[in-house]
Amino acid sequence: MSARIMAEPFPIVTPGTDAMDAARAMGSGRLPGLIVCTDDGRPYTVLPGSQVLRFLIPAYVQDNPGLAGALDEQASDEIVRKLEHSTVGDLLPARQDDDELPLIDGDATALEVAAVMATMHSPLVAVVVDGRVVGAITVSRLLDYLLPSATPR
Amino acid sequence: MTTVLVVAVFVSAYVLIATERIHRTAAALAGAAGMVLLGVVDAKVAFFSERTGVDWNVIFLLLGMMVIVSVVKQTGVFDYLAIWAAKRTRGRPFPTMVLLVCITAVASALLDNVTTVLLIAPVTLLVCDRLAVSPIPFLIAEVLASNIGGTATLIGDPPNIIIASRAGLSFNDFLVNLAPIVILLVVVLIGLCWLMFRSELRYDPKRVAALMALDERDVIRDRGLLKRSGVVLGAVLVGFFAHSALGIEPSMVALLGAGALVALSGLEPKEFLEEVEWSTLVFFMGLFVMVGALVEVGAMDRLGESVTQAVGDHYLVAASVLLGGSAVLSGIVDNIPYVATMAPLVQDLVAAGKGAPQAKALWWALALGADLGGNATAVGASANVVVLGIAARNGHPISFWRFTKYGLVVAAVTIAVSWVYLWLRYYAFA
Repeated sequence: MSARIMAEPFPIVTPGTDAMDAARAMGSGRLPGLIVCTDDGRPYTVLPGSQVLRFLIPAYVQDNPGLAGALDEQASDEIVRKLEHSTVGDLLPARQDDDELPLIDGDATALEVAAVMATMHSPLVAVVVDGRVVGAITVSRLLDYLLPSATPR
Repeated sequence: MTTVLVVAVFVSAYVLIATERIHRTAAALAGAAGMVLLGVVDAKVAFFSERTGVDWNVIFLLLGMMVIVSVVKQTGVFDYLAIWAAKRTRGRPFPTMVLLVCITAVASALLDNVTTVLLIAPVTLLVCDRLAVSPIPFLIAEVLASNIGGTATLIGDPPNIIIASRAGLSFNDFLVNLAPIVILLVVVLIGLCWLMFRSELRYDPKRVAALMALDERDVIRDRGLLKRSGVVLGAVLVGFFAHSALGIEPSMVALLGAGALVALSGLEPKEFLEEVEWSTLVFFMGLFVMVGALVEVGAMDRLGESVTQAVGDHYLVAASVLLGGSAVLSGIVDNIPYVATMAPLVQDLVAAGKGAPQAKALWWALALGADLGGNATAVGASANVVVLGIAARNGHPISFWRFTKYGLVVAAVTIAVSWVYLWLRYYAFA
């Protein structure tokens, strides 16, 4: 099965999208990430959920995760409010080269999709046909396709 | 001719280390390889000569302490102490800074400076975040305190370990001769912090509740490990105090402590070796071979004779030059290779003094100059570079000049106070 057939419709955001809206979309849709396109619709990158967390969690807590234990609910509310005046562009790490983005051609096979996910540690890949994003493949969708169905006992 | 070539290789490697054109470990290894290729150093000299080979006491003392730190770090005790201290002051910035400076200075005397600031900086950022104050004055004060505190003991700063090994000085020698002045210097630092940072330390009573909501008990990750580490660390300290009386080298004390902690902690090798800086250990080995080659060809002896003749019995002048010169050089280049190179020279000077306290004080001048000089610039000590990196990663960049503006003042004042101490204790009233 080609990537084009496996691809599912997926929310697309731009670097200018409000970060809180993007994070809410991820949360409410149980999505592992979002596809980021430029304003003219060209694929830009994938924003994984873990990157949102990296933006939110102070670097000193990432350096020393034990400190998270000292913080209460009020502190976590304050941390989440960091998203309020931010855009998706603020959440993104420095722009990578095109060949380091989790993008895949519509004709790619399932194993090629898996290889891109594995090497880029990305929970989803954007499927691109003629320079446009036609959808995305998540890890769960790929595994569902790759693994044989469980035999009924 | 061989001597000229050895000196040329040494100077070339030293320039590479100082300019950081290549990694310092690679530069030291290249220098050591050069000495081997010149035929000055062979396996017997490099590995088994106490005078000109790798100083295994230094290497294994560092290794043992790094393993101990790896285990103690897992307990979260430093996070506990820092949060507890900030809460005791009810979030008033200057008293909080004073307590954090004291904790850092004491921790630095027992652990290496880089580890200390790596442990204290994240929790400082947390406290400052809760208080909504800039962490920059706190981080700068802490790194200055770590360089001062590390001067107090044999194990506090790598140059002290080299000095102790080369001079045959004990843990207690360092405590008796350096700890008093270091305590005074910490008080001086606190005064300087008040002068330098008071305008930046704003108290916001509304933020105190956010600080007081932090629960320091929750950062202790493993209470059992904390108790076991405390017992072993206490035993290691007793071992350091008593190593001369027991006839055990400090390196053996550290290795026994490390072994006991590893056995009692139940941690995996990846965890108890986490803080072992293999590149630093290899750097030391390369450095010892380089300096040993200079000794082997007689270059250091000749230099030592000239310096000894020039100094004569003017030990106060020598101590002053050593203190000031070491401070200036350590502010610019890594103090480890500097002290490794100077140690044989000071050894000659002290030997010429036939055990006179005025001559022995040269070791303290070297230690104070090399350790305190690291505060002068942002690149003067590894701990400075590490803290600047942590600050930048957390959105609070500290420029080279901003750090240096404060560091130069602290280095100049602490060196001046140290000179007065040396003069009073070893020359005026000796």
